[in-house]
Amino acid sequence: MIMTTQFCSFRLAHLTFGVEVDRVQEVMRSQALTPVPLAHEVVRGLINLRGQIVTALDLRRRLDLPDREAGEEPMNIVVRSSGGELSLLVDAIGDVVDVDETTFEGPPETLDGVARELITGTYKLDDRLLLVLDTDRAVQLPAPA
Amino acid sequence: MNAIVIDDSRATQAILTRILEDLDYEVTCAGDGRQGLQVLDRTPGIELALVDWNMPVMNGLEFVRQVRADERFASLTIVMVTTEGDVGHMVEALDAGADEYAMKPFTAQVIREKLELVAAGT
Amino acid sequence: MSEIDEIVGEFLVESYENLDAYDEDLLALERDPADREVIGSIFRTIHTVKGTSGFFGFNALESLAHVAENLLGRLRAGELDVTEEIASALLATGDAIRRMLGEIERTGEEGTEDVTALADQLGRLQADDPASGEAEAPAVDASAVADVDTSTPDDTSPADDDTGDDHGPRLGDLLVERGDVDAEDVSFAALEQDFGDPRRLGEILVDDGKASEEAVASAVEAQVDNGQRSVADTSIRVDVGLLDDLMNLVGELVLTRNQLVQLVSDDTEHELTGASQRLNLVTTELQEGVMKTRMQPIGNVWNKLPRVVRDLSLSCGKQVRLVMEGQETELDKTIIEAIKDPLTHLVRNAVDHGIELPEDRVAAGKSEEGQLVLRAFHEGGQVNIEIVDDGGGVDADRVRAKAVSSGIVTQDQATRLSDREAVNLIFSAGFSTSAEVTSVSGRGVGMDVVRTNIERIGGTVDVQTELGQGTSFKVKIPLTLAIVPALMVSSGDDRFAIPQLSLIELLRLDGDQAASAIELVHGVPVYRLRGRLLPIVDLSSQLGHERDRSGEAINIVVLHADGQSFGLIVDLIHDTEEIVVKPLGSHLKEATLFSGATILGDGRVALILDVLGIAQRARVVSESADRAMSTEVDEVATEHTERRTLLLVEVGDDRRAAIALADVQRLEEFRADAIEHAGGQEVVQYRDAILPLRRLGDLLGAGFVEPPEVLDVVVHRDEERSVGLVVGRILDIVEEDVDLDGGATGHGVFGSAVIQGRVTDVLDIQVLLGNDPGVM
Repeated sequence: MIMTTQFCSFRLAHLTFGVEVDRVQEVMRSQALTPVPLAHEVVRGLINLRGQIVTALDLRRRLDLPDREAGEEPMNIVVRSSGGELSLLVDAIGDVVDVDETTFEGPPETLDGVARELITGTYKLDDRLLLVLDTDRAVQLPAPA
Repeated sequence: MNAIVIDDSRATQAILTRILEDLDYEVTCAGDGRQGLQVLDRTPGIELALVDWNMPVMNGLEFVRQVRADERFASLTIVMVTTEGDVGHMVEALDAGADEYAMKPFTAQVIREKLELVAAGT
Repeated sequence: MSEIDEIVGEFLVESYENLDAYDEDLLALERDPADREVIGSIFRTIHTVKGTSGFFGFNALESLAHVAENLLGRLRAGELDVTEEIASALLATGDAIRRMLGEIERTGEEGTEDVTALADQLGRLQADDPASGEAEAPAVDASAVADVDTSTPDDTSPADDDTGDDHGPRLGDLLVERGDVDAEDVSFAALEQDFGDPRRLGEILVDDGKASEEAVASAVEAQVDNGQRSVADTSIRVDVGLLDDLMNLVGELVLTRNQLVQLVSDDTEHELTGASQRLNLVTTELQEGVMKTRMQPIGNVWNKLPRVVRDLSLSCGKQVRLVMEGQETELDKTIIEAIKDPLTHLVRNAVDHGIELPEDRVAAGKSEEGQLVLRAFHEGGQVNIEIVDDGGGVDADRVRAKAVSSGIVTQDQATRLSDREAVNLIFSAGFSTSAEVTSVSGRGVGMDVVRTNIERIGGTVDVQTELGQGTSFKVKIPLTLAIVPALMVSSGDDRFAIPQLSLIELLRLDGDQAASAIELVHGVPVYRLRGRLLPIVDLSSQLGHERDRSGEAINIVVLHADGQSFGLIVDLIHDTEEIVVKPLGSHLKEATLFSGATILGDGRVALILDVLGIAQRARVVSESADRAMSTEVDEVATEHTERRTLLLVEVGDDRRAAIALADVQRLEEFRADAIEHAGGQEVVQYRDAILPLRRLGDLLGAGFVEPPEVLDVVVHRDEERSVGLVVGRILDIVEEDVDLDGGATGHGVFGSAVIQGRVTDVLDIQVLLGNDPGVM
């Protein structure tokens, strides 16, 4: 059950997502990424976070969304997970938002496939819907098809 | 009040220290009889010694004998601690000069009672 | 409640430690049942467990320890002899106690294991009548206790001050050292004590005016300090997690230093350079210092082995004496865990398969008892561990036979292996030398796992044996894993680190060489390095981006993994650097090509190549497709000793050449005067067409020879055109197992072979004629 939490919002394609603020360690601009050949396609590579080597996961790929356009640099949301820190690559970082609890609903019918599994629900924001990301599941790699 | 625990097992030292601290003692530990003597030698004001029987280098019995041979420590209360239940050991310890005898495992309450006995006896 | 937890934790740590010594002591006691010190130590361990477990309410533990203590009490008093049954029961007790401690560690409770059978056995053993004829200890009670537990007479000798002891300096010596008294005065004072003077040494000296009170007081203090310091631990206990943190910090410092060094080298400012150099030195020393804290003596790993050997020998019916040398040799703790299993397996293997049964040994003129030596020492920056037995040795022929029947090598290859190479086949996957499967050490399938595990940490293992005499396994492992020297290479835009331990050498092939030097054998690219065929792997291909390297120079890094060498083609080779190895996260478990990552001086992340992983993925090792390649056999012999049908011809004066008959379309004779010239080339009319001619002598630079009247011509046809090769004399057609000596001698020649007793050039017609600009 989601308590009164704040969410760090971010954008992927035309959609707005949110991650609980206390899961977020920091946000950063695009970082130099070292690709890992032959790794899962969701793993974009490794970044140097103040001396720690952090794996960067591409959320678009994780959610089965089409890749970013060439030239568009992603932003990094570094989250804490049971296995350590991980960076989520997103299109753009939005504000930290307070949500109106009463507007919580389950995942919309219009979401399908992977996205449906990774969204725990939605909140209504002023002008759009905030899709709540299930961080723990999102950072797990999808099983091979 | 100051006390010394003499036992070659660190775990036992920890346990006995805890018990004595419950009785408001400040505790120093030693790993065998000889170390115990050294501590006594340089630390004034120790009133109580909980001494294990079985230790390397110098065992409890020998420690008691040496302490009792030294007038400086005449007022030191010595409680032998051991798991041996047989009379022979008890008698020997008391003969050598120990004031009381406590069988493991015991609680702080048991030690308190023993100390009261000693105080009453003196 | 956490204070109680802490105390329980202390109890567990202490008990585990004592139990380790307990096992060793029991084995020592078995060998020397009269060792009273050892009995005392064993007794105390059980006694302590019994005593402390009571406080926590661990009743089952307390009762078991109690029964064991009763037995030990009788042993200590000399009423019972140590027998094998007793030792085994006591060892089993130690194991049971460990198990209970494990339960306590995990759950906080003792667990529900039923040890009544064991307790009964201990009770029975304890109740046995004392051994007859055994010398009784003088007293069965306190004085026996005092005998065992008190210190040596030195400590209570009146010659010393009370606080003098074995470890600290004697008061008299201290005073003499400090010049406060003369040595004779001390002797005299000591003499007085001998005659019954009850005063302490210091007192006597002061009273006699030989030393001042202050001097004595100060010396006594120093003595107590010294004594205390030496009696108390000179070491402290540190939480392992804290050491790991320190190590990580040092790692960070190393990276930062690397960064700084890189930045400073571009800067010529003197002071900055100086400071950077000092930082460099300090960091290196700090690194070494911290690494030392993580070093543990290998004895910690070995201390379980005497027990293993004992139990195993008993169940195999063998007698084995274990000798350990170099227990104090130190290893980083990261390595210790990794080698435990491989070492244990090698030891088990030696007992199970190496050492023979006593009767067999006697029949072979050996002692009944076999000897197994474990030896460890530092050499060449690595830790060497040797496991040497004086058993029956490994039969190289049986290994060969087994390897062939297991499909590891072909019969041919097997025959060509030297005995030493053959014996090392036991490390191959899918191998087994034991005639029967023993449940004790398995089928010997562990050997390949042993090697893999050792190589995974950057080590090597090798076996040498002499049939009938014994076998020795030699393991070499690096001193630490966390910070390693690595060679930096690039593939495309990315840089990668290759641990130097896997590196054998670097090769560079220039454009011309590159094209021809890498050959294809069974579809696998190879390079012939000093007579051996080296499988070649292209890093770019492995990483998924093929590259056309034609015309370029080729850089090859020669690596070794799992007993096999191979060459890795990389784009560029950079410097060797010290890198801090950082593990890859769980998301990258599947990336078997990489064993970790590191941060370079410029802050970029670089992946560390897993040499074994690359070798396996490229099927250079342990994959059936290339089993033929996976032994360090002189492949040249194997591959090129194919049986070929060759046309032998004479060339020029004295040279001979051989042409694969497959390349020969026809043999013809032409009269010298049938040769015409067209377009500056010799031709002859042949079957309604013009046949261009080339003289082999010219092509090979064999010198000009007066052409005879009748020419022998070898007609070769490829694609559309035919060419006539004018040779000296056609000698013979032979079938030969051609074994090529030496490399290619020039364009168009495979190499030279000895055929019919003469050195003969084996020609590559395609190349020979293809390269000839004169051919249309």
